[in-house]
Amino acid sequence: MGIEPGRLHFSWISSAEATKFVDVVTQVTDAVRALGPHENFVKHMPKVA
Amino acid sequence: MVGYIDKIKEISERLLKEGTVEMVIGFQKGTLPMMNTPCFAKTPEDVGNFVWDSHCGINLANYLTDRKEKIGVIAKGCDSRSIVTHITENKIKREQIFVIGAPCKGMMDRHKIASLFETEIRSVAENDGKLIVTAGDGEKTLEKADLLQKNCAVCAHRNPVIHDELAADPVEDQKDVDRYADVREIETMPPAEKWDYFDDLFSACIRCYACRNACPLCYCPTCFVDESQPQWVGKSTDPIDTKTFHFLRAYHCAGRCTDCGSCERACPMGINMRMLTKKLEKDCIDAFGWEPGLDLNQRPPLDTYKMDDPEDFIK
Amino acid sequence: MKVIKIDKKDWADSLGKLSGPYRLFGPVRDKDFHNFKELGNDEQPDFNFQNTRVSAKSMVLPQSETLFTYSLDEKEPDHHQMREPEKNYSPRAVLGIRPCDAKAFLLVKRNFDTPEYKDPYWVRAYEASTFVGLACDDPCSTCFCTSAGCGPFHEEGLDLLLVDAGDHFLAKVLTQKGKNLVQAAGWGVETNADVELMKRTAESRIASAISTEQLKGKAATDLYHAPFWEEAAFACINCGTCTYSCPTCWCFDIQDENHGNAGVRMRNWDSCMYPLFTLHGSGHNPRETKIHRVRQRFMHKLKYYLDKYDAGIQCVGCGRCIRLCPVNIDIRNICELMNSHDPGACTCQVA
Repeated sequence: MGIEPGRLHFSWISSAEATKFVDVVTQVTDAVRALGPHENFVKHMPKVA
Repeated sequence: MVGYIDKIKEISERLLKEGTVEMVIGFQKGTLPMMNTPCFAKTPEDVGNFVWDSHCGINLANYLTDRKEKIGVIAKGCDSRSIVTHITENKIKREQIFVIGAPCKGMMDRHKIASLFETEIRSVAENDGKLIVTAGDGEKTLEKADLLQKNCAVCAHRNPVIHDELAADPVEDQKDVDRYADVREIETMPPAEKWDYFDDLFSACIRCYACRNACPLCYCPTCFVDESQPQWVGKSTDPIDTKTFHFLRAYHCAGRCTDCGSCERACPMGINMRMLTKKLEKDCIDAFGWEPGLDLNQRPPLDTYKMDDPEDFIK
Repeated sequence: MKVIKIDKKDWADSLGKLSGPYRLFGPVRDKDFHNFKELGNDEQPDFNFQNTRVSAKSMVLPQSETLFTYSLDEKEPDHHQMREPEKNYSPRAVLGIRPCDAKAFLLVKRNFDTPEYKDPYWVRAYEASTFVGLACDDPCSTCFCTSAGCGPFHEEGLDLLLVDAGDHFLAKVLTQKGKNLVQAAGWGVETNADVELMKRTAESRIASAISTEQLKGKAATDLYHAPFWEEAAFACINCGTCTYSCPTCWCFDIQDENHGNAGVRMRNWDSCMYPLFTLHGSGHNPRETKIHRVRQRFMHKLKYYLDKYDAGIQCVGCGRCIRLCPVNIDIRNICELMNSHDPGACTCQVA
């Protein structure tokens, strides 16, 4: 529907895998930052006509 | 399919006379050409109103929701699959319904037919694979096969999957149908182009919810768009709210939609929201080998877990 | 009444002249159908249509309309107060509206503009508008305007009536507003042409009719308890298509929408077909089933309105609800059931 695939990420992380969690979160936030803000699926205040 | 009606009437009359059911749900002739309207018969005499032809596109499974009576219902392939879905979702019990199966060769796309004429259509008759259409600017004989509803043209299950009695012999299913050519086309678009495509697709939506209400699967007592505490989605015609409604409704039908085409047929603005549900249908086939509504004994993929469920999306 | 001849060659020029003093609205083709839109610079209304898909009511009662804005930011002096935003109520001209849609505004006006109550948004938008009608010479088979107090050349509610006469329009000036618009457009060629014959021809083309003469004499409770509602409502899926496409359905719902630290209070069209329409805060719903809701829609249009205002039914016969209903519920049939209902002949009980 027009949202870049890089914004969605799934991982199996056990509660014991703190380092993996940090790695994945860092990776994902970097990837999303590289894409920049998604501006389409954002609702704006209605304009007064 | 015109020949079905005698058999449909005979079965319905018998069911009502013998008290097997309290009502039979079928179609009666509408007030406009190419429009039949759902109706019920509660006495054997009422059955006289029933009609059956190529304009019975509305999915009658939608009329079973929350009824308490023992019901006879006329079901095409797609209707029967929706009924199976209702049964597997515990919405209705198999014993509550008597399915009068109507093998189907496809219903007509009345908008497409109307678009072939300059003036309004006055009457439509059908005869052996042909439609004889009379409009203000003359009469044309058309091939039914060229004028099927979009979902019927790519239908792979024309025969009722469950039935207690059939109104006619099963028909041959269409072979080599490419169900997803249009979905693949959208899949190849880059994200921005996809966004524009859906933006344009839903631009005419007036939020009348005809698509939702015509859908046999949309039976939630309160739809998420109607919730007010909390309010999940705005109620104006804001394009983001409108798309949120359509996207989420499609997701709620994932693994359940049988592509009966009710949503598209009901839309007063001619929006083809099936482009969303078909994509999810395709994904369910690709990921789980699942086609909904074919088997009373199988649970849908989204409410079961199997060891071999694909998980390559998990990184 | 004055009739003016407008050469179609001069049409675009006149619109150019009008676009200064007026905001122009007109039917525009969008994909497979026409709807009313504000016309852009040099954009022409497209008169090649039978009728617009949905009615022109949004010209005065938009589907979503902001009534107030507010801020929750305590640094702003008027935080937590509703402010009425500036709105553009400068003169506007609605070009090519069908007589049925224009007449519909008068039916709505009886409710929105009364000595006791005035809906300020509706009244201001209505008063700012000049309605330039386009007479109908090619009605749909579902049009029954002539038996619903209207007609293809009906003049009530219009300021100017255009009649397509081939290479020119004949314009009948009906009000002062119409006169002003004619002046602003620079139209001045008076003619003796008579549209009466065209009117009669158009009226004779309306092939469909309803009978309403018995409705007034019937007791509302008899109609309410009539046995036909279960059957009449059975096919209904309770979508809002009929109410949203209808030129006379006026119901709305008021909503606040927050956007961060600010928000709007808006009103949106609502529909008596929706279960939420009458849902009480307690959870009780007096119109719980679709039979209740379908009955309400038709009783309102064909009985309550008639009883309350004694000025006909709340329907102009545009036929949109018939054409667009996904399950072919036909107001002409329901009207006939109501009009011919004989409570004495009925022995059965309904819930």
